[in-house]
Amino acid sequence: MNPPLEIKALGLALAVASVSLGGALLAAIPVQWIMKPDHDAAQSAPTVSSPERASSPALVRQGRQFFAMTCASCHGDDAHGDEGPDLRNLAISNARIAVTIKKGVKGEMPNFSKKYDDAQVSALVAYLRSLR
Amino acid sequence: MSIDPSWWAKIHGASTHFPVALTMSAAFFESLGFVLPGSARAKASLLAAGYYTIILGALGTFPAVLSGLLLTKGEMGGHDALLFHHLFVWPAFTGLIGLGTWRAWVGERFSRRGFLCYLAVLFLVAGLMAGAGYWGGELILDS
Repeated sequence: MNPPLEIKALGLALAVASVSLGGALLAAIPVQWIMKPDHDAAQSAPTVSSPERASSPALVRQGRQFFAMTCASCHGDDAHGDEGPDLRNLAISNARIAVTIKKGVKGEMPNFSKKYDDAQVSALVAYLRSLR
Repeated sequence: MSIDPSWWAKIHGASTHFPVALTMSAAFFESLGFVLPGSARAKASLLAAGYYTIILGALGTFPAVLSGLLLTKGEMGGHDALLFHHLFVWPAFTGLIGLGTWRAWVGERFSRRGFLCYLAVLFLVAGLMAGAGYWGGELILDS
């Protein structure tokens, strides 16, 4: 007995939907491979000639805690980059780093202005500056 | 590849609204055409409108998904609003392709029970599309 048309169509629909989802997943791989090198939006931002360097050790320790809680999941435990870019040796100003943390990067990184106040952002910046 | 990222954001923003709107419209036309106790001609017109909107909506997901992948540099998950956006996007995308395929194949040769199942999934997918649109908007407006 042949299955009714609707069941056949359901089978086709499931197959086409699965192939489409699989195609999207597979398409993501070459897109990642081609486009990840310029993922580092922060590093392609305007630069300063001599990067500003670290602050007090206490501030750096505090910044490391914030980094571990919030940033490490994307930027890696030691900020070497993972899903997000490598944040060591940033060639941008402290102010620019702080603005990026507070405002985020559209479509790529959330803003943290509600999570961290200015002093806490300064600690994060100090920690990033301490990285080599 | 050094293409201005805002270009993909514009393309994605433009392309995503078509499948979202077409899915909502399909849910409206199809359900109204199914339950309306009016003339056969009015029902047929509404169902024809639903037929074409769901197929166009399904086709419209491809440029939306592709531009989204290019915008996020191949990110399938992400974090915060982007993660929530994707949690709605992938089931909605898969469901909409399935619905469009089913409707295109079956056409007008559906049973009442089969079409009710289709409508139930269509409303679910429309809800998922709305969720994807909401979190997509949060990505833009909340940053």
